[in-house]
Amino acid sequence: MTILSLEFWAFVGVVAGIYTILALGLQVQFGFTGLLNFGHAAFMAVGAYTMAILVVKATFPLWAACLAALGAAIAFGLLLGLPTLRLRADYLAITTIAFAEIIRYVAINEQSLTGGPVGTIALAGAGRAASYNTEWLEVQRTVQGWLEALIGDSATRDVTMLVIVWTVALVLLVLVDAALRTPWGRVLRAIREDEDAASALGKNVFAYKLQSLALGAVLAAIAGLFFAFQFSFFSPGDFDPLVTFFAYTIVILGGAARNWALPVGALLFGLIFAGTRFFDFPPFTLFDSAERAYLRLIVIGLILIGLMLFRPQGLFGKREEMVLE
Amino acid sequence: MSALLETRDVRKEYGGLVAVDAATLSVEEHSITALIGPNGAGKTTLFNVVSGFARPDSGSVLLGGERIDGRSPHAVARRGLVRTFQTPKALTRMSVLENMLLAAPRQPGEHVWRLLVTPRAGRVREREIRARALDLLRLVRLDGLARDYAGTLSGGQRKLLELARALMTEPRLVMLDEPMAGVNPTLGAQLLGRLEEWREEQGLTFLLIDHDLEAVMSISDRVIVMNDGRVIAAGTPANVRADPLVVEAYLGAHAGGAR
Repeated sequence: MTILSLEFWAFVGVVAGIYTILALGLQVQFGFTGLLNFGHAAFMAVGAYTMAILVVKATFPLWAACLAALGAAIAFGLLLGLPTLRLRADYLAITTIAFAEIIRYVAINEQSLTGGPVGTIALAGAGRAASYNTEWLEVQRTVQGWLEALIGDSATRDVTMLVIVWTVALVLLVLVDAALRTPWGRVLRAIREDEDAASALGKNVFAYKLQSLALGAVLAAIAGLFFAFQFSFFSPGDFDPLVTFFAYTIVILGGAARNWALPVGALLFGLIFAGTRFFDFPPFTLFDSAERAYLRLIVIGLILIGLMLFRPQGLFGKREEMVLE
Repeated sequence: MSALLETRDVRKEYGGLVAVDAATLSVEEHSITALIGPNGAGKTTLFNVVSGFARPDSGSVLLGGERIDGRSPHAVARRGLVRTFQTPKALTRMSVLENMLLAAPRQPGEHVWRLLVTPRAGRVREREIRARALDLLRLVRLDGLARDYAGTLSGGQRKLLELARALMTEPRLVMLDEPMAGVNPTLGAQLLGRLEEWREEQGLTFLLIDHDLEAVMSISDRVIVMNDGRVIAAGTPANVRADPLVVEAYLGAHAGGAR
């Protein structure tokens, strides 16, 4: 694979699109409502696993399995939110991490349900490779047909996926952005600023926090669905806490509560993440390729630290908002 | 006149410390009532109990004859009881105008289903409340700052914003916790004068906390005095001033110091 291959950059773009949707969910919860959810990856897992399990084990049609996946994300959001949303911010953060790890460990250990540590390929039991992707590939081929009519041979499978993911990401971004501009979104921001003030003015803070958590969970589940479609199979390791922190990185990179900064943050993140693969010149050749894979995490960490030092409001945030008390 | 707010034998302990002890008081409808007492007398704790921010250990709170103790703050607020805080809670990364708009009741745009079913209703209501918000901001002289972040306001301006925001909720009873602390004295005096107008025009009832006795005496119809978590006196300003218990517990310190 070379640095100039369209295939490779289409892949980077798809991942950035998926992360845009994931980060949008976090934006609603953290950027607008002030909820410190450190278990975001778990909702992605709930979405992906619900869909895969229903398609393989219950032979659901894809559309029904996807709807059920979103429903499951809402249900898990309520399950997490009902007992924990009355907690103060830092305690909420701790319980959400625990929740995400519970989901991941259940996925690892409940082999008969999830396929266990090897992932969804074992969903149908031993000796039979399972696939949930057949129906999705048909959908993708149909869209590819439309694209070919427009752009000809450039409409490869990867480019088709790129177009689908980004269309969905941008539509969701427009919808969520519009929702946050309504009086409903104003209540969320008030809760972020001071929940006692919001409840003294007659707002049911708990109900709004639940709605925010549920909306964020649905967005994470949509990201989970596309993740599943893109990679054809997945395992519990794909939803480890690092994924949540990547999503936070994107939100903070762009600037909290700046919706249109999200795709930019996600693309930038994708570039840094994938671009560091091409560090095959000195001094990076001091390390072997496996070591270089970890090097990218260090590079991302350094960039974040630099950003926090020199531009704490993020690329598109407003500096004056950082100093208000 | 009838009692709009009543507390009966309200008791609240915090880890062995009795903050409010058997507090029984009533606030007449359409009155301006002052709740005074030295620091640590339990005034703010009683405010918290009444407004739903703290649950009483025993006793009851009635608003317009209906029990409200144990209800959550937003439920109390929707019944027409709005409060402010000693340290003002401006929503700092929202504009001054947004702070006001947020406080308006009956905004269908705040509810997901109504947003989806009748999106226009929210916009219509938004126009109504915007006009009212700007009127109220004019009264507290913050209209010129409507578009600024509330976080850029001074402490005194935040007090004024909180007062205007409280009125925005269309309340029956407004409970103000040290409303004039930090407000420029001239404007503060004018605003205290305004409370009487608002009471007449909008049928409001005010309950003020202050430890500066003279500032509230002149505008209050009734004064309730607390000391050590108990209500030790209640009556007209003149009666309270003459009450030996009050003189001893509260005025005594000042009067003695002045002589």
